[in-house]
Amino acid sequence: MFTDKIELKDFDKMDPEYKDLLGRVLTIQADCEIGGPHLYVEKMLPAAPTKLDQLIVARTAAEEIDHFRKVARVAGDIGVDVSFVLSQPNEKRFVDAFRGLITTWEDNAVFGFLIDRVGRYQLEEFYDCSYLPLQRILPDIVTEELGHIEYGYNKTVELLSKGDEQKERVQKAIDNWYVRALDMFGRSGSSRAERYRYWGLKRRANEQARTDYMKEVNPILEKMGLKVPDPLKGRHYV
Amino acid sequence: MPQAAPNIEKLDEHLMEVVRALHSAVKQGVSHSNDSTVVDNTIRDCKEILDVIMAGNVSEWMN
Repeated sequence: MFTDKIELKDFDKMDPEYKDLLGRVLTIQADCEIGGPHLYVEKMLPAAPTKLDQLIVARTAAEEIDHFRKVARVAGDIGVDVSFVLSQPNEKRFVDAFRGLITTWEDNAVFGFLIDRVGRYQLEEFYDCSYLPLQRILPDIVTEELGHIEYGYNKTVELLSKGDEQKERVQKAIDNWYVRALDMFGRSGSSRAERYRYWGLKRRANEQARTDYMKEVNPILEKMGLKVPDPLKGRHYV
Repeated sequence: MPQAAPNIEKLDEHLMEVVRALHSAVKQGVSHSNDSTVVDNTIRDCKEILDVIMAGNVSEWMN
């Protein structure tokens, strides 16, 4: 296992595999950061239920754009240009959950509650990682992601208080996003994930992070009076 | 030191300006939440800014 800590000035001396994996993970992270606004800004900014919600949609998008900027800077400094993801159509996003468009307020709320939470898990993978410039941008990004998760959770609870019909719509959104959230952790036993861990770029195996996520989310869903979806139904990466 | 990606400095500065403008508009809207004209205007401003970012014409921003 590689245990050194690397600064930008050390990057050129690193093994090609390390350079390749760091460039790859930063590109995917940048794509996920900008992928969120591309999912919800178009339909949710004009259609959020209140003007305050509209402003919060705009603020959330601003924070995600800033996260993209920070990740793009770390990538750019090692010569990896991730600006192409700014114009990438949603269908070409690296992660399946970011393909498509959010068109309902239930989906928007559940997206924050479940998918931004996976975002937090992804960022936590870089805690104490071997590349220090990446580690340094994490605290502010994670703090803002926690705000997105809380907002999504609160909006989901608010929707659930509006009766059975609304509850059914929320459950439908949960059924959709839950399996996509689980897929975001990638394949169990992935050899690439193992190399990320070898180089100190990630902390957990995909299956471990996914299990931790389920242990956190399932009790919350149950407490909200929602059914935990079948974790294997409709999955692409098991 | 590795060779930085072209335009990274410019892109960083541009996006920082965009983020500042959005935060400032949102703040304006929230602090004038009783005045629907101000709120509507700030939401419109946010939409205009975000539409440009969502269009993703990076080379135009760089010029």
